[in-house]
Formats: sequence, C-alpha cells, structure tokens
Amino acid sequence: MSEKFTIDRRRFLTGLGALGTAGALSACVGPTITSRGGATAGSGSGASATLLGAVDAKPATGTISFAHWRAEDKAVFDTLIATFVKANPQAKVTQDISPSNDYQSTALQKVKGGNIGNAFTAFRGAQFVNMVKAGLYAGLGAQPFVDGYFAELIKAGQDPSRAQMGLPYQLVFNMPIYNEDAFAKAGVTALPEDWDGFLALCEKLKGAGFVPIAWPGGEPANSGQLINAMVMNNMPTDTAFADIEAGTRKVTDDWFLLTLKQYQQLAPFFEPNSTGTASEPLQQLFASGQAAMLATGSFHMGAVRKLGATFPINLIAPITVAKDKAKYEGIYNATFILGVNTAGKEQDTAVKWLQFLSDPVNAAVYANGTSQHLTVKNVDYTNADLKHTAPWLAKKTLLAPRFQFNNLDIRNAVEASCVAVVGGTAPEQAASQAQTVIDQKRK
Amino acid sequence: MATTLTSPSQARGPEGAADTLAKPKGRNPMAPHPALWLFPIPALVLYIAFFVIPTIQGVVYAVTDWDGFSPTAQFVGLDNFTTILTSDDLFRNALSNNIKFMLVVVIFQTIFSLALGVYLTKNTKASVALRSLYFFPTILSSVSVAFIWKFVYDPNFGLINTVLGAVGLDRFQSAFLGNDNQAIYWVAITQVWFHVGQMMIIYVAGLQQIPQELYESAEIDGAGRWQQFRYVTLPMVAPATAIVMAYTTVQSFKAFDLILGLGGNPPKGSLDILSTRIYAGFANSQFGYAAAESLIFMALIAAITWLQRRAVKASNPDA
Amino acid sequence: MTYQLTRRVVLGIYAVLVIVPLVVVIFGSLKTSQDLFASPFALPTNWQLDNYSKIVGESGLGVAFRNSVIVTGCSVPLTLFIASLASYGIARIPGWKSGLLLGFIVLGMAVPAQANMIPQYVQFETFGLTDSLLGLILINIVVTLPIAVFIMTGFLKTLPKELFEAAAVDGSGPWRTYRSIVIPVSVPSLSATAIFLFVIHWNDLLYPLLFIQDAAKRTIPVALLSFQGEFLTDYPLLFTGVVVASAPIVIAYVFLQRYFVAGITAGAVKG
Repeated sequence: MSEKFTIDRRRFLTGLGALGTAGALSACVGPTITSRGGATAGSGSGASATLLGAVDAKPATGTISFAHWRAEDKAVFDTLIATFVKANPQAKVTQDISPSNDYQSTALQKVKGGNIGNAFTAFRGAQFVNMVKAGLYAGLGAQPFVDGYFAELIKAGQDPSRAQMGLPYQLVFNMPIYNEDAFAKAGVTALPEDWDGFLALCEKLKGAGFVPIAWPGGEPANSGQLINAMVMNNMPTDTAFADIEAGTRKVTDDWFLLTLKQYQQLAPFFEPNSTGTASEPLQQLFASGQAAMLATGSFHMGAVRKLGATFPINLIAPITVAKDKAKYEGIYNATFILGVNTAGKEQDTAVKWLQFLSDPVNAAVYANGTSQHLTVKNVDYTNADLKHTAPWLAKKTLLAPRFQFNNLDIRNAVEASCVAVVGGTAPEQAASQAQTVIDQKRK
Repeated sequence: MATTLTSPSQARGPEGAADTLAKPKGRNPMAPHPALWLFPIPALVLYIAFFVIPTIQGVVYAVTDWDGFSPTAQFVGLDNFTTILTSDDLFRNALSNNIKFMLVVVIFQTIFSLALGVYLTKNTKASVALRSLYFFPTILSSVSVAFIWKFVYDPNFGLINTVLGAVGLDRFQSAFLGNDNQAIYWVAITQVWFHVGQMMIIYVAGLQQIPQELYESAEIDGAGRWQQFRYVTLPMVAPATAIVMAYTTVQSFKAFDLILGLGGNPPKGSLDILSTRIYAGFANSQFGYAAAESLIFMALIAAITWLQRRAVKASNPDA
Repeated sequence: MTYQLTRRVVLGIYAVLVIVPLVVVIFGSLKTSQDLFASPFALPTNWQLDNYSKIVGESGLGVAFRNSVIVTGCSVPLTLFIASLASYGIARIPGWKSGLLLGFIVLGMAVPAQANMIPQYVQFETFGLTDSLLGLILINIVVTLPIAVFIMTGFLKTLPKELFEAAAVDGSGPWRTYRSIVIPVSVPSLSATAIFLFVIHWNDLLYPLLFIQDAAKRTIPVALLSFQGEFLTDYPLLFTGVVVASAPIVIAYVFLQRYFVAGITAGAVKG
C-alpha cells in the first residue's frame, strides 16, 4: 500500500515539475510581452535603416540561395546563374522557388529563418512593407549599381524614411492584353478612348464571335488585376486604395459604386461562368484565339506564347470616363523587389548577385527570355512582344493601386465586391458588405 | 534484512525496474509492476513538449497583438476574443461555411457509408471488389483529390459541364466553385467522395458482427426488410455510427488541404473555413489574432464533439 | 425485388462515380491539353509520354519522393514503437490513473493541426527544427501519437489479463513481457496501425508546407501542390503528377489491401 503511494506521489511531483519546466520553457520562445499601453516595439520603421556598404570588386565566394516565386523564369535564371558562376567560380547560386500564393503567405517567415533567401524578392505592397518592418532587408541604397535603375520606378522599394531597401526589378503592366488579329477581324480600327467606346468595342467583338474579355473571376489573385484600370480614372489620385485602407475614403463612395456598376456592364462580355474560372484555362482560351482580351497583365504574355499563341499581342486599358476627363492611359507596377537578407550569411555574395542582375546586359537576357520589361536603364529589348509594347513605357501610367493595400483581408474584400457584382449582387449591397469588413479589419 | 512483504527496497520501485530477473520474493506478481509507469514516458514527453506546450503558448499569444516577427508584443487582454466574436465578418463567414460544410459532410457521409455498408456486408467476391474500389479514394493525397475535382468542376472545360452539354442538359451547367452560394457544398461533395469508403469499412465491420439469428427471428416475427433495418441493424451498429460521426466531424474541420487545392490560397470568401482563416492570419503577420482564432476553433470542435456524444448516448442508452 | 434493384443501381452509379474521374486522370496524363478538353473520356489519340519524362526530370518529384520515403520511413516505425510502449503501460496500469493518462493523450485526436500550427512553428523555429526532415519526422510522430495510442490500447485491452499475469508469475518483468509477448501478439494491430499511419504521414500537406523552405527538402504532396504554380495551364501535366505521386501508395494498396482496411477498423469497432 505504502509502496504504491510513494510511487504515485513521486510520479505526481515529477509530473508537476515537468509541467513547471514546460511552462518556463514555453515562455522562452516567442516575443517578449509588454503590458498594455507600454512602449510599443520600436523595430523597423523608427530606427534608421542600416545600409550595406558598397561591395568590393573581388569575385564572389560561397553559396547563396535566391528565393522567388517565378517558376516560369527558372530556366532563364539558370542561364544567368551559369554566367555568374563563370565569372565567379567560387560562388554557387541555388534557386528556391515557391508558387506565388505560397510565397505571399510564407516567405516572410521562411526568409527570416535565414536558411534560404540570402538574396530574395518581395511582392510590392503588404509583403514588402512587412518584410521591411521585420528588418529583413539589408539596405541597398549605398550600392553604386542603384544608379543603373530608373529612379522614379524604384520608389516602390523604399521604406517610409525613403531609404532604398530593395530594388523592384520587374516592370509589368497590369492591364488586359489583347489579340491584335482578333481586333482586326472584328473590324476594330482604333482603340476606344472612353467608356461608351469600350462597351462598343466589346459589342463588336462579341458580334464577331469572340469572347470579348476573358476574366478570371474565380481566382482572387488575378481577378483583381482588372480593378487597377477600372479605378485609375474614376479616382485619379495616387492613394485611392490607401485611403480606403486608412478610412478616409469608402467603397460606398460614388466613384467606387460607379466602378461596380461598370463591372456590371462588363459582365455580359466576360466568358460564361466567369466567377468560377481561374486564369489557367483562360490563358488557353486566349492563346487559342477564342477570347479577344485577357484581363490580367503583361506578365502572362510569355505564358500565352508558350501555349502556342502566334498573333501579335498588345495592351489595352478600359477608359472608364469621358475622353477629356481621362488622366491616365494605363497601369504599371514595379515589383519583384530584390533584396539582401539581413538574417542570412554571405551577404557579400548576395549583393554581387544582385549587382550582376542589375547589369543591363544580363538584365536584357532576363527581360527577353521572360517577356518582361525591367526597371533597369539601357536594356536592349530584342523580344518581339517587348518591343511591340515598349511605347507603354512612355505613356501616362499609374502605379497599380491594388498594391497600396497592406492588409490582404481588406484587399480581398474590395476585390470580392467586384466579383460579387458580376455574379449578380447589387452594387450597393456588395459595397456595404465590403465596407463592413474593411472597417473591422482596419487597425 | 527482513523478508517482509514490503521491504524498503521495494518502495523505490522504478530504480529496481531494470532488473527483470529474480525479484525479491515478496512482491506480488499479480500486481502491475511499477516499471510499467516508465512505458508511457517517451510518448508523454513528446506529446507534452510538442503538443501541449504549443497549445499553452497559443493561449499566451492569443492575448497579445504579436505580428510574428517583431521581438516584442503588447498584451491586449481579451480584445482579440471580443473582436473575433462580435465584429469580424470574415470569421463569422468562415464559421458559417464550416458549419454548413460539416453538416452536409456528416449527414451525407454517414448515411451513404451506412447504405454502402449494408449493401456490401456479405463477403462475396463482388462485394469485396466493390469495397476495395470505394475505399480507393481515401489513400490518395488530398492534393491529388483537389486536382482531380478541380478538373471535374471547371466551368468551361470540366467533366460535369462537358457531360451535361453533350447530353443537352446545358441549363444545369453551373459555375460550381464560382457560384458563391453553392461553392462550399460542392467541396463538401468532394469530401464525401474522398472519405465515404473509409467510413463504409467501419460500418461493414460493425454489420458483420450482427448475429444472423437476430434477423431470422425478426423475420419470423413478421418484420419486413425495412423494419429489420430499423429495429435490428440500426441499434446494433450504433457504436459504429457514433465513431463514424465523430471521426467525420473532426475530419471535416481538417479539410484545409482540400480547400486550398480547390479554392486557392487564400481561398475566396465563399470557400473560407476556420482553418484557412487561421492560416490567413499566419500569412498576414497577425499571429496573436490567429492564435485567438485557434483557441475558439478548438473550443468549437470540443463543444460539437461533446454534443454529438450526448446525442448518441441519448438515442442509445445502453451503448 | 425492388431492394435488389435499388442496390444494384446505387452500387453501379457510385462505382461509375469513383472510376470515371480516376480513368480521366490516367488517360489525361497521356494526352495533350487540347485532346483532354475535347474528349475527356476517350483514350488518348496521341499517346504523349513526355509528360512523364518531364515530371520525373524537371519537377523535383524524384527528390520529393526520396524525402517522403525518408520521413515516412522513420516516422512510422518510431510512432509505432513509442505508441506501443505507451499503450502497453496504459493497458496494464490499473485504476483511474491509466484512464486519465489515456484520456489526456487521446484528447489530442480532436485538435486539428491548424489550431496549434502557429505556436508549433515558432517553437520549431527556435530549436532550429524548421526546414529539416528531422523536424518533419518529429512533428509527424507527435501528431499521430494520440490515435496510434488509442488504437493500440483498445486492442491490448481486449487481450485476456491472464496472458500478462502468467508472464509475471514466471518472473518476467515488464520489458521482457513487452518484447516477448506483447509485440508478437499485437502484430495484427501493429501492422494495421502501421498502414494507417503510413497513409497519414505520406499524404501530409500542412506541416511540410509550413516547415520546409528549401525546395530540395520538400515531400511529395508539397511538390505536387507546387505544380499549380509552375505548370500553369497544363491539366495533363498536373494529372501526370497525380499519377506519379499516388503510384507508391496505390501499389502498396493493391498488395496489402487487407492491412489498409484492418487499420480503419482496429480499435474503431472494438471501442
């Protein structure tokens, strides 16, 4: 009897001890918690950004991991890596690619871990802002090769104190791409310059047997590309969506309700069941010539070519207001923000890899191989599609508003209201539902 | 040097456990050996360290506003919980989607797996073959199932709409996952397809244990097939039903993989469920808030499972 | 005979519902996109085998396969071992304490991974276990311990007490009893649980997705999921991925079917 009791009590005490240690251990992990109203974390924005010193001219050594999401660019990067390694035989570069959705969700934590992404990239908007806040970017502002970029275009890679932390590399146009042959076949001679003109264009295309606009309403990531062009002239300021996130504007305001009503007007010109379709089948639809416009962006030109599209492709933006009121002609975005990881080793090599990419010769290899424009100066575009769409580099384009959102829940709510309207919800109802979520999620 | 039944050396049981040979003759061989207490220890250590402690930590994070990467975070008391329960439409939406999903899956999966089990109780060659066929989807990975059904549901090229179009039933074509009202139900159907075979097997095992005499005496008493089912089969498989329902319920809350595969990451509003909502919190750098959502999530599952057990006990008091 | 008729109809329809998608997938993997969209059910008009060479070569499924084998190959035996130890202890400890212990562990079955994943992530990151196969093995064990213990304890409790008591009278201590009696007797339960765990560990998506950063350390489900981004429009290529990723477990199923089935029922009906 007493034997059992002794054991039980010992077991019990051991158990308590274990739990106690466990509790203490669990406090070691995670953040230090300050009391409410106490000093808030001063990390990131307040402190002055540390900029890396300029690197020397010696060849790079060591192995670095380059983290990004463009699986479709892997082969081109492999070619570039081969060239880099030839010039720097002691160095090695591996690519760590995640699908773009996963990259958006998990890259911050993964890069912070330091195991991958000695050189890494970020989406413009919420991801870049959070990564800067987390102190992941070793500032590149002091590097001489920064001068090789268009100053205006790399503003998206600056932190709130205007220090250049990262370098946006890709210059994409988030506007619908269109099939020039299809337009010609439908008898379209000039691009429309106002809203009525755009609707008439769609009518003509429909009459000629095409699906006027292939719109991936079923895919949150890409359904929102169209919204950029739809609001650029309805609210032609630089901060339309930032204001919505801040609360100074609402989606129930007239200009956004107008945008929703315009989506309603476009609905008959989308492919059937557009709210359920993702972008992949639509690339097929466009490449096969059945759809005249693909409402995503220039970043799909390469993919569409791979699917066998041989017709000339160009960009078009719906002008949602009268011709004389239109301030902007199109939308652009500077993204794929390159950076060096503060949590990683071999920072020197990482900088040299970025320097390599910033060289106009190498940049040209990337641009022409992936059909994307870049923010680097003096790039020789030999790719037919890039040359064809090059005039857009000089037009009056607005930096894509949808990336002004820092909170993805808010962005999804705003874009979902457009999808809801196409699906049959009344604009006022869709807007007020979205506004409720925005108000709840706004900090 | 006594040879009493419980000498002091026995009291220090655990240390003596290593010696598996001659025990001091005094110990009662029929009583469980004290060394038995050592056996669960590896499991307990792992379980506590990597399961229980994270749960406790979750509670700690849930009362802060931690974003997942800053070194400090502020204590916010119960603010996260109040926000979640009163002014978070996204959470409420995810909750309602999850409940709809769970109800459809539990009801259909239970009924359907019972029906299949009843049809295939006998061990004929055909029955065994069909059982293996129906069981097959369970072993596939959820990503595979998601890819397959993504094609089935594709509004423009997918299986269902193509077949409907081919037989002239165009008006039944649907946007499936694109239809905000229906989307979650279509995913529920995929989930049922995925796991009904698994539940069927549980029912078959239970059904095969029912003694044939019970049916025979019922038939002698004049009971028809349906009455036999109601009064013999159903009560006898009640334990299996309880297990199937409980397992299916928890499984339906875990449908994370399927939703991501079919609805994308992050899924849109009509396909958002609680587990994807929590994952979105992780992705949006809102660890504290997501931890609070996790706790409510766990409480919800516990509550539903408990309600289910009570319902089963109530309908079958001697189970 | 309406019962028989209903029975045949229902069984027939459901058999079609299971077979058709699988057939479409298998055939689809051998078609081009256009062929698939034009006639999903028919045999491929142009047998395309390069999808398969593309998959194995370019996609990293080969590396993922190796990783899956390593992780599952370690986590299943370890889980079995640790769980069987615990089950033996719990089954033989008398009184309320063992019930408490069992209940404590089994409670873990009702907690979905998503509820705990954030603190677990932070914890593993602190200990340097993220981005490592070891971390995956560890978390696999932890997460399936509850159900493994549940099944095996259920099984052991059905064994006659005399079995253990006889061994004890012979002077055999618990460790020897475990080795020479419990394990041999539990072989059916062990093998069924082994297959059950195998399916769960092999197909796990959440933890590899969350923990693994390095593409060279991915397991098969994550590699398959990444096809969605990389091979965008290509349903045939996606299907090829599905076929290749499922092949190992399907082959195991064909040969070891009764163990798969037994795993589901073990402990389920005995409860």
